[in-house]
Amino acid sequence: MMKARGKVGFHLLLKSRFWVIFLFGALLFGIRWTKGAGYLDFYSVLLKPILPGTAQREWIKEGENIERSIRLKLLEDDNNRLRKALSLKQFNSEQRISAAVLSRSSRNWWQLLEINKGAEDGVLKGQTVIGPGGLIGLIDSTTPLTSRVRLLTDPGHQVGAWIDRTKRHGILTGMGTNRPKLIFLNKNTLAKIGDAVTTSPASTLLPPNLTIGIVQFVDEKALPSPYAIVQLTASPEAIDWVQILKNND
Amino acid sequence: MTKNNNKLLIFLAAICLPVFIVISPDWLKINGITPCWPVILLLPFSLKSTPVKAAIASIVLGVFIDSFTISDVSYIPSLFLLSLVWSQYGLHNKKIELFLNIGLMAIFGTAFVGLSIWFQKIIIYSVLRNNWFHSWSIYILISEVIITGLVAPFFSSWLLLAYRKK
Repeated sequence: MMKARGKVGFHLLLKSRFWVIFLFGALLFGIRWTKGAGYLDFYSVLLKPILPGTAQREWIKEGENIERSIRLKLLEDDNNRLRKALSLKQFNSEQRISAAVLSRSSRNWWQLLEINKGAEDGVLKGQTVIGPGGLIGLIDSTTPLTSRVRLLTDPGHQVGAWIDRTKRHGILTGMGTNRPKLIFLNKNTLAKIGDAVTTSPASTLLPPNLTIGIVQFVDEKALPSPYAIVQLTASPEAIDWVQILKNND
Repeated sequence: MTKNNNKLLIFLAAICLPVFIVISPDWLKINGITPCWPVILLLPFSLKSTPVKAAIASIVLGVFIDSFTISDVSYIPSLFLLSLVWSQYGLHNKKIELFLNIGLMAIFGTAFVGLSIWFQKIIIYSVLRNNWFHSWSIYILISEVIITGLVAPFFSSWLLLAYRKK
């Protein structure tokens, strides 16, 4: 009798919706307890084949680059406005003249380049010439159709420069080799190997913050003034096209 | 024959050499250094001319070459002295057409011109007086002497023969 009652009870339990309700409740509890982890994992596995992956990284980088270039443009405009207020030389990236190198004499007694833009294109004596890597020289003379560029490496050629990290000024002097000498104006230079040499932001002759080179050697004890040997970042021997920065004033 | 010699002279002196000076082709360089073209051009003319003519030619050539350089350093003093020496040598020596003789004279002439430019630079640019050893000058001087010594026997000999036949 008891056995029969038990069988009947179990049968009823199986027949009833008890298990369905129980499993549903357990599932709900599991979802709540794991905070939907299963769902999310399942969703991510499903989406994996169609997720953007590396492409998305590129989109993000592109977006960042655009944002940076916009910020750079805004900062340059701001910088130019402030420099104008202080009557300093301005750096205007829009006023450039591209020119091809006609002939080069970068290792002779005179280290110069002949380029194919002259006075008719608005090139003037003393204008700055840059190439891939930074400053390479100044316009020495012009004809109606060509110009002669005196390279930074030409013996005796001097331009003002400074080391941005230490804020120390010096005169970059061409020594005939690929490595001009930066003769400092102060005794305590604080310069180190690897420092970047640029045009001075306080210069009234050259556009500011143009890259010139990297310090390769420093002699603090040299007389009459300490000096550094600078490796130029732009190589005139390998440049076929240059850009002339027009004066704003 | 005289017409042909004249054409050769005009071609070499008036067209070919100035073109080489302006273009400075890479295949005529040693370590990026071109031959000393004014020496190559002046040497044969000085050997076959009177000192006065040679001196005038040297000044004309110096003015022409100086127009392709920068700064105040000039070729004229060294070329002037060389033209006087070479013209005197040419008057007293009859076997000047020797191939190696011309090359040797061009080598000494190039060395003299190079030293003259070097000293002028030292005088003009006080910054170069801080250090008396200029590796760049020695490098240019040696390279220029070698390439001029190689090129001069060909160009200068042709010009000298053309002058003599003329």
